[in-house]
Amino acid sequence: MEGISRRGLGRLALGVAATVPATARAQTAPSGPPIRIGYSMSLSGGLAGNGRPAIIAHRIWADDVNARGGLLGRPVELVHYDDQSSGAQVPGIYTKLIDVDKVDLVVSGYATAIIAPAMPIVMQRNMTFVSLFGTGANNDFKYDRYFSINPAGSKVKETFAKGFIDLAMAMDPRPRSIALVNLDSDFHQRTAESARYLARQAGLRIAYDRAYPPSTVDFAPIIRAVQAARPDIVFVGSYPPDTAGLLRAASELRVNFQMFGGPMIGPHITAQKLQLGPILNNLIIWDVYAPEPTLQFPGIRPLIERYQPIAAKENVDALGYYVPPMAYTQMQVLEQAVKRVGSLDQAALAKDLHANQFDTVIGPLRFDELGEWAEDRNLYTQYQGVQGNGIEQFRKAGTQVILAPERFKSGELRKPYTAGA
Amino acid sequence: MSDTALPALPSPAPRRMGHGSFWIVTIIIGLLVALALRGLGSEYGYFAATFVLQYIVLATAWNILGGYAGYVNFGAAAFFAAGAYTTVAMGKALGLSLLPCIALAALVGGALGFGTGILTLRLRGAYFAIATLCLSVVLQTLVVNWDYVGGSRGAYVLRPREVPWPFDGYSGLLCTVMVAMAAASVAISRTIQKSRLGLGLTALRDDEAAAEAAGVPTLKLKLIATSISGAMMAAAGAPLPYLGSYVEPNTAFGMAYAVNAIAMPLIGGMGTWSGPLIGAVLLASLQQAATVTISSAANLMIVGVVLVGFVCLAPHGIVGLFRGRR
Repeated sequence: MEGISRRGLGRLALGVAATVPATARAQTAPSGPPIRIGYSMSLSGGLAGNGRPAIIAHRIWADDVNARGGLLGRPVELVHYDDQSSGAQVPGIYTKLIDVDKVDLVVSGYATAIIAPAMPIVMQRNMTFVSLFGTGANNDFKYDRYFSINPAGSKVKETFAKGFIDLAMAMDPRPRSIALVNLDSDFHQRTAESARYLARQAGLRIAYDRAYPPSTVDFAPIIRAVQAARPDIVFVGSYPPDTAGLLRAASELRVNFQMFGGPMIGPHITAQKLQLGPILNNLIIWDVYAPEPTLQFPGIRPLIERYQPIAAKENVDALGYYVPPMAYTQMQVLEQAVKRVGSLDQAALAKDLHANQFDTVIGPLRFDELGEWAEDRNLYTQYQGVQGNGIEQFRKAGTQVILAPERFKSGELRKPYTAGA
Repeated sequence: MSDTALPALPSPAPRRMGHGSFWIVTIIIGLLVALALRGLGSEYGYFAATFVLQYIVLATAWNILGGYAGYVNFGAAAFFAAGAYTTVAMGKALGLSLLPCIALAALVGGALGFGTGILTLRLRGAYFAIATLCLSVVLQTLVVNWDYVGGSRGAYVLRPREVPWPFDGYSGLLCTVMVAMAAASVAISRTIQKSRLGLGLTALRDDEAAAEAAGVPTLKLKLIATSISGAMMAAAGAPLPYLGSYVEPNTAFGMAYAVNAIAMPLIGGMGTWSGPLIGAVLLASLQQAATVTISSAANLMIVGVVLVGFVCLAPHGIVGLFRGRR
């Protein structure tokens, strides 16, 4: 310390005090006009149960980006309107966003019924469009700037039910027959088609194959008919109200199948997990995320930890394992593309999205020419050891183990499914 | 000669505008609205206007049966969706463009209205309303199970790439078509109100038995009213698939259409041609504004709150308020 006098040290300290926060400020405080990202979201109506958690995830992402210095040095601002879960509202909302609010980027709201009506507007303006949970929304439009955040991929028929059928065929003794039950809706018709196709390929006899209408309220006749057909395994596609009805009916009728489940959307929502409790044991569910050690990607745990207190305050889905990671990914993909391109040029963004891999909170992903995931990631999970109706057990690894695909496997298949009996 | 004054002669009734003049005025106003929207040149302006105009047609159509004849129809969404799905089916089967699809939708809606009338018009009051509600459920079930029009998956209707002169985009074309339809529906509604048909419908609304006894062919008039009302509602729904390029049963049969079709005439004033027009402009603009400002579940409450307010404070709607003052 020989060279520095006391006065010099004081000056140095002053200099450091003046320059360090300035550098830190330059990193943390974005400046300039905000980059506005516009979209419609279902905050009321039938889709609001998943729309509201998506908004929370988007807000967390915007906070994260702004804390890191913004996008291209500019702060990020989210502009969204409630579409009331009605596709008819969507075109008006997107024209308002683009023409009046002058947003720089657009993304989609939740589900195909909301994504599809936005497509003509977005296509007319040649904007890059990252969607959330759309099934085949681009099959008719074939828009080259559309990108889907949905792990089902573009070859739904060949890949969707593969995990389920592979698990079945690996059982000892091998099953010989399958029953297919599904809700008459777009998503579930596609998934049932996949199960039908792959079951035939595996040499399984289809003992029962029926779709039920959305207005169904009594599910006991369906379960009874499936029981009467005596299948070894049952592949079911349903939405939350029907899933609860089907599982309650299965419990009352004391079913016993070697495997039971499929894309039964319902236990993905925390309220239904708690409501069904032990009825979930050994049920196989298609899912997009589960808190298992094999599925821990950078950023996922902090996201969930930040989401849950906000969700508790705003009274939306408490655990947030279904929509929030996907909604956060939707924005992450856009963020990475903008950063790589270094501008908001829509054509360059689309080119980048087609060309590169994205590291997200749900793992690495890449898009194909239709904008779907180049490699599907249909997780088949099984609820195991559920006791009572407490929420804590669902936060722990081992309650919802991943059975397929092999690279994320975190547990072994348990059979049969007896609906909690 | 007595100097007692003779009673003053009643002042002559104000001269009413004739049907022809009204049609001409409506066409001129329609043209002005279309030109103003064109001048605005905003894509969002087109969409917001299309939203409001579609409700003018729907509310005016509902008023012909519900307002003039007093038969409350809860099945507006069914007729509206019938129009939307006619566009889907005809577009797919014959490759027809929007305008012929609107004409066909009106035919389908008219036939549906006539059929519904034959089956249900012997019912009155709440029973008729429940029957029309059933129509919506039956039709939705049919559409959900009809794979040709997409079933529960929904159907995609892609907008044509080429737009005829003088339109700058398909939204402009769609909006202009809706302006024409709204103007025509208001003119039709006014013509009916001031004609023998309207007088007959008013008579049967006040007392159906008395009207029948006085020689009013009630069933015939009601069938004409249901057919015209059904045709106009279906025509209002015909452009829906082009609006979003995608239509699915839950959107087409949305509760909002049925509720708004009733709420708008009720707020504006039932039984007059101007009531539904005022109600639709007011309520639809309010809803559209709320969607892009309040942007939450609150906008769904607007219809309910405004409706309850008007039922309590102005049971004859806005038109009734002004009439009371005169």
